[in-house]
Amino acid sequence: MSERVKITLDGREVEVDAGTLLIQAAQDAGTYVPRFCWHSRMEPVGKCRMCLVEVEGPRGTTLTTSCTMSVNDGMVVHTASDTVRKAQEGVLEFLLINHPLDCPVCDRGGECPLQDQTMAHGPGESRYVEEKRHYEKPIPISDLVLLDRERCILCARCVRFSDEISGDPLIEFIDRGNYTQVNTFPDEPFASYFSGNTVQICPVGALTATPYRFRARPWDLEAVESTCSGCSVGCRVSVQASQNEILRLLGVDVEATNHGWLCDKGRFGFQHLAAPERLTTPLLRGDDGELHEASWGDALDRAAAGLATIVESSGEDAVAGLGGSRNTNEEALAFERLMRHTIGTPHLDARMGDALDVTLLAAGPRRGLIGDLERAATILVWGPDLKEELPVLFLRVRRAAAELGATLVVVHPRANGLDSNADHIVRYRPGEGGALLERLAAGEGDLGGVRAALDEGPVVAIVGRTGLTEDSNLAGAVAGFAAELSDSSVLAVSRRPNLYGAVDMGVAPGMGPGRVGDDPGRDADGILEGLGDGSVKGLVLLGSDPAGDHPSGTAGRAISQAEFVVSIDLFLNDSNRGADVVLPTAGFAEVEGTMTNLEGRVQKVNRLVPAPGQARPANEILADLAHRLGETWESSAAESLGAAISTLAPYADVSWQALDFGTGRDGIVARGSELEFSVQNVDKSIGNGLSLHLGRVLYDLGTAVTMGPSLAKLAPRPILYLHPDDAASLGVIKGDRVELTGSAGSAVIDAALDPSLAAGTVYLPFNLGTTVGSDPSVTVEKAT
Amino acid sequence: MTWPAEIQARAEAIVARYPEPRSAVMPLLYLAMRQEGSLTLDGMRQVAGYTGLTSVQVESVASFYSMYKRESVGDYIVSVCTSISCHLLGGEEVLGAVADEAGVPSGKTGADGLFSVESVECIGACGGAPAVQVNYELVEGVTSESGRRLCRWLADDRPQVVTSDHMQAEFGGMRSFEWGPDESEGATGPVPAFGPLGTSGQPS
Repeated sequence: MSERVKITLDGREVEVDAGTLLIQAAQDAGTYVPRFCWHSRMEPVGKCRMCLVEVEGPRGTTLTTSCTMSVNDGMVVHTASDTVRKAQEGVLEFLLINHPLDCPVCDRGGECPLQDQTMAHGPGESRYVEEKRHYEKPIPISDLVLLDRERCILCARCVRFSDEISGDPLIEFIDRGNYTQVNTFPDEPFASYFSGNTVQICPVGALTATPYRFRARPWDLEAVESTCSGCSVGCRVSVQASQNEILRLLGVDVEATNHGWLCDKGRFGFQHLAAPERLTTPLLRGDDGELHEASWGDALDRAAAGLATIVESSGEDAVAGLGGSRNTNEEALAFERLMRHTIGTPHLDARMGDALDVTLLAAGPRRGLIGDLERAATILVWGPDLKEELPVLFLRVRRAAAELGATLVVVHPRANGLDSNADHIVRYRPGEGGALLERLAAGEGDLGGVRAALDEGPVVAIVGRTGLTEDSNLAGAVAGFAAELSDSSVLAVSRRPNLYGAVDMGVAPGMGPGRVGDDPGRDADGILEGLGDGSVKGLVLLGSDPAGDHPSGTAGRAISQAEFVVSIDLFLNDSNRGADVVLPTAGFAEVEGTMTNLEGRVQKVNRLVPAPGQARPANEILADLAHRLGETWESSAAESLGAAISTLAPYADVSWQALDFGTGRDGIVARGSELEFSVQNVDKSIGNGLSLHLGRVLYDLGTAVTMGPSLAKLAPRPILYLHPDDAASLGVIKGDRVELTGSAGSAVIDAALDPSLAAGTVYLPFNLGTTVGSDPSVTVEKAT
Repeated sequence: MTWPAEIQARAEAIVARYPEPRSAVMPLLYLAMRQEGSLTLDGMRQVAGYTGLTSVQVESVASFYSMYKRESVGDYIVSVCTSISCHLLGGEEVLGAVADEAGVPSGKTGADGLFSVESVECIGACGGAPAVQVNYELVEGVTSESGRRLCRWLADDRPQVVTSDHMQAEFGGMRSFEWGPDESEGATGPVPAFGPLGTSGQPS
């Protein structure tokens, strides 16, 4: 509880938090002071002068910017006096001198702070009759963002965001003076993963994003608040659509997760939902071996019959299910019911061989919250490159390190988005993580400083797989180590949006809904193995593409050996192109339900637009399948599945009612588990040759990128990165073609040098079109 | 493109003078300018590399100051003060005479690359107005006549190094102060002589 002080605000005595800025204190007390440059999540600069108020002092009453003045006890403030009004009119007249007033053709028109505040506080007309500034407009400053320098009022929100918040200051004021303008360096575009935020916070129409330009007027938009389904951070968003088409996502400021920010993949990834390739009708494999459009009735009959045949001939154990991590909790629960109860198989997994141990995901030790970062003294990040996999979590860690002064320790096989803010950087070869952990725990040698830093609590440890060739038990071992640290909390992270929810709903081997134990079953690796050796014959895919997602690179071949495959998906992909039945399903903003993020925080996702064609919510499809397999559920509606979820112990406080109306925007954290987490042995064997680091990049060849016109062009081409010493000994220079051979085959690929790698390590970005398997041991040869 | 080893060593020495590398941005910009004759995009990128700033942050600094020249300037940049004191004592006439003698209008660089002539705001020599700088080396008490002689000397002798003391003795008049530290080192090109920082090219 912070100290409170009394101030007099326009004659009212109000109590506000001591030390807050006057503009914030006034807002908290119900008085909105107009502003352009001030943003509650950034440092004040007092640049636009719009927030002038009068403050009484010993030397009389003075005009001062309320965004740079902290409140003091007994302060007397006037926000609406004649002097203030005159000052506001003057400021607006100045700001409008060079503003083109092209509101009728400006995307911001109708929701523009400059327009609104001019209407509310501005002078009726300008005395300025001279020529305004002219610039070429608009100029593209990246593939996603355009800049109109005439509209810019030089508030520095974009400049400050990219410097303070995202840490990639690629946009700055240049030619400062009479000709100040915002711009990028001539040949270095504003290629930031967070560029869309600058568009959202621009108080005029100077920055616009290509996906939304000239698509709608704000008053034509319908909006619903929802949760981004791009990754497992669970950022709060406002989804906005016109004429049943989603046109944009805006970040909503919630304390628990995103602080208002979004990454560009989350912000612009919605475009894939409207891709022409979206499945709109059920598809059935005909006698000619091709997929043909079919009616729902025929498709469901065939799907049920196919699965029933396998159960009859080979038993329930011969059927398995993969997927659910891209669906809502309600859909995942329906999937679990169909597989485990209706069909009766224990073989189901929402993970694709790229995640973590089930007990770590659902019942990790000292499980923390993202918000713990705010009070952390030390942060250990031994997991994926957060900037590439969980970008908004990266922003939160960066804030803790850069703004709040936490000591940051980053352990990763190569240079990483957090390095520039890290106090300690530890690099290692994939495969040597177990040994490194032992040395770190003992504080051996050069790790003494790191060990000492970790003894300073509170500690927040973010653990996960640094790469996909890494033993998944390593993250558990690191979590076990971190849980022993003083006042520590642990976030075990994995990227896929509702992986945590799907696992909580029991879409995992050996675990039933509500984080309780169940009969042991096969995990994704085991299911693929079973498909290969014939012990698994039937497969149900729910929004999953193991052929593309499973790091082994052999899943496609395994699936092709299945006798019968049913896929419920948005698109055709390498996993379901050979399926017997493909059922089109509804996606983000087309279904209502809940999702659980990496902290266990449950949040609502809401429906705004209809699904295309005949696509249906997965829970309804699964219920129809169950019915045809002889089990009729009481209700297939997402809402009643939601009610069923509330009966699970960790989800006891969670209901749609509470999420929609009760707890506000921060959602509800599902706590508790009957499962026991235990540290598993980490494979410490490492081959003699080169060791492969298989890491994800934000823009990969997943459907959210490839099926959206704005993001599709951003996926980089695949490159193999070598340590300069290894490259020298192989006789390879940058740009050479090399042949990379791994456990699942060979590929010829361009080489580049990366001195940040540990010698003996090569780095291949995952899912950019080149796959050689997930075994750490690889060989590289110069291609002839 | 990277700088020659000698220049890299100088850049590193400049960076080492400051607690934060980014503080070295301004002297490094002169170094970059000295290296290529003007401040190029590549020069700014090099500076960005040494300071840990992004290229656009370096450009933001560079584009604020008028002494960082984005277009190539002559071997001798002659800056004539036309602020109030110099203006009252004939600075405009000196500017006209210098421009005429150099054959380069104010604000331009000659086609032969010998002279750039510019009028500048106050250069802190009001007591010795009108004041002129050659490659940022100060001469005070300049007249139209001595300004012309100064230009002729530069054109005829093409001195490698220009020093304030020498030019003051040859072409100057009254000085603001008759005391002050000796400034024996001079400028070797159209960037300020910061001997200790190593931007001047003059061994100190």
